[in-house]
Amino acid sequence: MPTEAARKEPALATERLMSAFVRAGYEQIATTVIQPAGPFLDSVGEALRARTYVFVDRDGEELCLRPDLTIPTCRLHLARHPSGGAAARYCYHGLAFRYQPGGATPTHPTEFRQAGIESFAAADQEDEDAAILALTLEALREAGLDEAQLTIGDLGLFAALLDAIPMPTRWRRRLWHHFWRRDSFRPVLMRLTSSEALKAHEIPRDLVGRLDPANPEAAEAVVVDYLERSGLSIYGTRTLPEMTERLLAAAADAREAPLDLAAAALIDSFTLVRTPAPEAVRRVCDLLRPQKIDIGPALASFRRRLDLLDSHGVDTREAQFSAVFGRSLEYYTGFVFQAVSPKLGATSPIASGGRYDGLLTDLGAPHPVPAVGSCIHVERLFAALLGEGP
Amino acid sequence: MSSKLVLALPSKGRLMEDCAGMLAQAGLAIAKSGSARGYKGAIGDLPDVEVNFVSSSEIAQFLKNGTAHLGITGEDLLREAISDCDARVTLRKPCGFGYADVVVAVPAWWIDVRRMADLEELAMSFQRRHGRRIRVATKYMNLTQRFFAQHGVSGYRTVESLGATEGTPAAQLAELIVDITTTGATLRANDLRVLDDGVILRSQAHVVSSNVARWSEHFRAIEQQVLDALARAKRPPTH
Repeated sequence: MPTEAARKEPALATERLMSAFVRAGYEQIATTVIQPAGPFLDSVGEALRARTYVFVDRDGEELCLRPDLTIPTCRLHLARHPSGGAAARYCYHGLAFRYQPGGATPTHPTEFRQAGIESFAAADQEDEDAAILALTLEALREAGLDEAQLTIGDLGLFAALLDAIPMPTRWRRRLWHHFWRRDSFRPVLMRLTSSEALKAHEIPRDLVGRLDPANPEAAEAVVVDYLERSGLSIYGTRTLPEMTERLLAAAADAREAPLDLAAAALIDSFTLVRTPAPEAVRRVCDLLRPQKIDIGPALASFRRRLDLLDSHGVDTREAQFSAVFGRSLEYYTGFVFQAVSPKLGATSPIASGGRYDGLLTDLGAPHPVPAVGSCIHVERLFAALLGEGP
Repeated sequence: MSSKLVLALPSKGRLMEDCAGMLAQAGLAIAKSGSARGYKGAIGDLPDVEVNFVSSSEIAQFLKNGTAHLGITGEDLLREAISDCDARVTLRKPCGFGYADVVVAVPAWWIDVRRMADLEELAMSFQRRHGRRIRVATKYMNLTQRFFAQHGVSGYRTVESLGATEGTPAAQLAELIVDITTTGATLRANDLRVLDDGVILRSQAHVVSSNVARWSEHFRAIEQQVLDALARAKRPPTH
């Protein structure tokens, strides 16, 4: 229970967070402040460079001041268990660093403390999702924060929706890829509904006419012949089969029936769903029913997680559901959440987290490892406890 | 704190000669002071001007932090070195020399990649095949990051390259490059092709004033005198 004492002693907040984590059986670990930059840039992308202190040491190694503690924790787990597959739960707190282009503010500092938990290879994924969020909220309460607005999402629903709508696999990949790119997603989706747009490509006409998507084996020779006649020689890391695959995809797109307009409208309306969490399943079902699209297992998983959250003591009646929530960080794959203090607002979430089943393979694990975690921005927690505005 | 207006000029190479020529033509010939290789200079008619000869990339730093009031350097170097360029400096006058286009160039045989949007699609399939992102070699890390973000291209990594950038794709150190070109001959010789919408910046040397240097009314009057003299002078032949 929050006490007046806790509220008046934000300096103790970190200790209270950590003791809640340790009590729940999470092993406290410490990772180094200076990290190799590669794993961050590879998994989060080059946009991270604009927000991270990246530097080169005297041996020419590209290093960074860790911009968050999740990836260092993943790396520590993989150093201990190279397959990543051993179940483990970790907690941590420590400094993280972010360059703030518009200048630092109390809620967006360049140097801040992060406290968090990560769980790897847990058998029951929905239950682990629920446990992570429940523990995060409990730790926040023990630190003195008793008012937090919760938003949740589930990227598994969007993945299931794409799978359930008939279209070539390469279009699913394209839509999933652009899902993370808010500005390009809708134009890419709309392109798939227009046969003119699908036929429009800048690959030389005389070449694309000779490429038969039904006969990929013959295509490489056609491409080689074209390159030779154009005086272009192949070099570098990219290979002829890779380019041929993309040329064949363009040739196939040009002959493909466009995506059903109703299906595109369904995808579009799905991305706009925002509703109180208890209404989410009904709202999504209402959208799908006229199209006879079934994503039963994904919805059952979502519903089960909601039930588990209730049994873990999380009140989901006040939580908001957003179908595209989690779009900002490409490594999330399933359940996502954030907790916002009304004092600081949605641009400065106090805690956020989610499931990221693909990240450990990006960092070198041989097989995908179920992973879910959460982190608390301690400086924002302090600001909320002290009642400071953003 | 200098009591003089500091004018930063390139210390060597073609750019230094072009700057000296332009100023001389405007009646503002520079006398190098100290030893022959001195890094200071003066302008006869403007006793309150101190000329500092520094490397082109340092000129951007001088203007950024206000060490120099005025400088002449390439827009590419300014925009690369100063993230809030338009707030910190003001481009007063294009010089008509030091032309260089900062461009995105790919191996010419990539006939499926004509535009920036193709690059994002390529990045997606490249990552699936190779398990890593496509690499862009460049010395313009910031310009690259901003331009790629504007075009919605995110699936790449930059690799810093401080020389012979055009050779990095063939050496398999990168898949594509962002580099400067004037005639395109070096790119062509290395079997590289500029993307149709891949011109990041058409750069040339500019007379630039720092917005954060300590300006007095007197210094502003000198600045105006310099700009007026340059405007009156015949433009040097462009190339």
